[in-house]
Amino acid sequence: MDEPSPTADPLTNQFGSLNDLAHELASLQDLATRGSWRSILDKVSRARSLNLLSNPHDHLIYLSYNVLALSKLRRFTDASNELDSLHDFNSHHYKYETYPQLYPSRSGSMVPFSLRFIHAQLPIKLGNRQEGLDRFYLLLNFVRQRIKEKESNSLQESVKIWKKRENFVLNCLIGHHLGAKEFNVCLDLIKDLINHDYLDPVLISKLGYIQMQIGDLEGAKGSFNRVETMLNEGKDDGSSFLGEVEFRNLVNRNKALVYLVGKDYVSAVREYEECIERDHADIVAINNKALCLMYSRDLSDSIKVLENALERVPTVALNETLVINLCSMYELAYVNHSEIKRTLSNWIARVAPDDFDASCTRV
Amino acid sequence: MSTTQQGTHSLAFRVMRLCKPSFHVEPPFRIDPTDLFVGEDIFDDPLAASNLPPLLSSHVSKSTDSSDLTYGDRFLLHHPSDAMGFSGLLVLPQSFGAIYLGETFCSYISINNSSNFEVRDVIIKAEIQTERQRILLLDTSKSPVESIRAGGRYDFIVEHDVKELGAHTLVCTALYYDGDGDRKYLPQFFKFVVANPLSVRTKVRTVKETTYLEACIENHTKSNLYMDQVEFDPAPHWSAIVLKVDSADDSTGSGGGIYNYLYQLKFSSPGSAQVKVEGTNILGKLQITWRTNLGEPGRLQTQQILGTPITRKEIELQILEIPSRINLDRPFLVHLNLTNHTDRKLGPFEVCLSQNSAHEEKTVMINGLQTMALSQVEAFGSTDFHLNLIATKLGVQRISRITVSDKREKKSYDPLPDVEVGIIFAGFNIQYMFSCHLKLVNISSHMYING
Repeated sequence: MDEPSPTADPLTNQFGSLNDLAHELASLQDLATRGSWRSILDKVSRARSLNLLSNPHDHLIYLSYNVLALSKLRRFTDASNELDSLHDFNSHHYKYETYPQLYPSRSGSMVPFSLRFIHAQLPIKLGNRQEGLDRFYLLLNFVRQRIKEKESNSLQESVKIWKKRENFVLNCLIGHHLGAKEFNVCLDLIKDLINHDYLDPVLISKLGYIQMQIGDLEGAKGSFNRVETMLNEGKDDGSSFLGEVEFRNLVNRNKALVYLVGKDYVSAVREYEECIERDHADIVAINNKALCLMYSRDLSDSIKVLENALERVPTVALNETLVINLCSMYELAYVNHSEIKRTLSNWIARVAPDDFDASCTRV
Repeated sequence: MSTTQQGTHSLAFRVMRLCKPSFHVEPPFRIDPTDLFVGEDIFDDPLAASNLPPLLSSHVSKSTDSSDLTYGDRFLLHHPSDAMGFSGLLVLPQSFGAIYLGETFCSYISINNSSNFEVRDVIIKAEIQTERQRILLLDTSKSPVESIRAGGRYDFIVEHDVKELGAHTLVCTALYYDGDGDRKYLPQFFKFVVANPLSVRTKVRTVKETTYLEACIENHTKSNLYMDQVEFDPAPHWSAIVLKVDSADDSTGSGGGIYNYLYQLKFSSPGSAQVKVEGTNILGKLQITWRTNLGEPGRLQTQQILGTPITRKEIELQILEIPSRINLDRPFLVHLNLTNHTDRKLGPFEVCLSQNSAHEEKTVMINGLQTMALSQVEAFGSTDFHLNLIATKLGVQRISRITVSDKREKKSYDPLPDVEVGIIFAGFNIQYMFSCHLKLVNISSHMYING
């Protein structure tokens, strides 16, 4: 790192805009939301070579974007190497109090938390699942210790943020155990979350999906009924993330799943259509509706539903799972399917974000 | 997986197995912008704690405005559980997968006309062929498909409950008139193998009147099985209560998982008398239903489960009473009962103390004629009689091999097990006898035996 400039005080006009938080942060964030990860790599590289980053926190934030971009582009080894260059997240190099002229009366770690998360997830993406899980569980421990510390120092806002991080790490763990079909662990973790933290209809619905996945249909129906009751009684936790349209669509989609499992595809399609009517961009409803049509022997319409979605709402519809489903349908519908898949593939190449995994077209 | 005949065809079959779809799971790289923009401990700073949240939330609400078409949702968390990567999106089965006995094979079959000409009068058949049989799933002979236009398709879905193990072939055939008016025949074959999803081990134990059946079910599939129902279907005259089931929480044992069940079975006949059936003893069958991915059902029945074989008992000889004091060289009476368990009159009988193979000298013998005659016994009837015995030695002796024979059918039944009795001097120095032969007296006072 360069010698920090003693005269500049980058955090005086501190929280007016994103750019106050780090050098040209708004631009970085804009590129990220567009999915222009390659441009982010360029921007970071440029900023580094032109010495545009004067402060340690700038370096860390740029490094975070860089590592995130590499991960998004599936360059997991490169991302891992870049993370390793930091050596130790807990080093005093990355603490505010090491630079009192730059960060007067501020102490603690300036490491963006996402670095710790990426550090845990990378080994799993590299095929070393056990290492990754260990890191996640260690991270969970680390977060819980921070919560205790902040609580004992009555730092309310920090406690809130670290509790959010605890919740985040638990959700990551559930996802990774679920991917490995370790259902008992998943059920324990998710029930724990539901019972301890808050009454979250999305979480309870996901419990239902897990129950459905393992074949516990009665359990799944029970979970979905709980969610529907919450909608009808206007209840959810205080910090609700669900708008009304989202909540109603969630309930309809849960109902549709029950119909689907019972092979009543007509009713399932009807539920999904209600969702799409309320929210044209409800991609889960659109995708699952297409599958129901196919299971009702209507392959042609199932293809149309997915193609329409890609045309109308490409930024939500352009999703690897939806494309996999569409390509499977093409392979069934057309003897010479390579042509139509190539057309799709070319369109994707023009429109998709950098991190879109084009191998899903199997072209 | 598919093989077709040589030659050009306008039509071709496309087949896809339609087992239930799965939920897509893939934990993504999606984060909360707070964890990217600032250091993790910045909220310890009271200035940051009060000023940052408004800045961040205004930024977040901008980027989740749906009219702003960006790929923000691929990178930002909208809801905390987005981190799971499990949104409820369903994925079509991406490979044929494994198929097991007891499941239902379901397939989408599409017949495509990839030529530039219409085809007419299409007779489509689909059947499953196994080693043992051919099962017709679809046949449009009665109403052939009138025409499939150039580039067109005719779709159908077939289902078949899989009841055999081993190699199966889905045979799809189409008989049609092509663009040149030629009658063409297209067969296509899709092979798959059916495996056994479970193995069931049973153990039977009989304790007095109750039989216990322990069943151990092992999962041989590659995924988890959710045991929906495991029921014991008892044979006639048997009833079953389930005593123990592996708890529902343990229902997901993937590849090698074991589920244990314990049943208590009781035999009860319609009448009051117990009728024991000769030969093997059939207890009943286990009916097993399970669910896999998204509730995909399967069901199997075991073969008949056998209990311990019961040997036929036509007649039963029981000792009802032996005197408590048996004196040396003095005759005594043993009270016996003979019961006829069959539904026909048996006898007449003879009772004696038979010799064993070693021809050991008997110390307790019949007093008088060495065989005692008994008259016929009615069906399900019984008769009481007394055997007049005498002991020739002191101390603990045996009444051995009381044997009954059927004179008419000329057969002997197995002798009764030996009975030990204590023989004492009549009226003699009882006290001395008691102190020397304490054990003896105790034994002889408990000599009431049932069979």
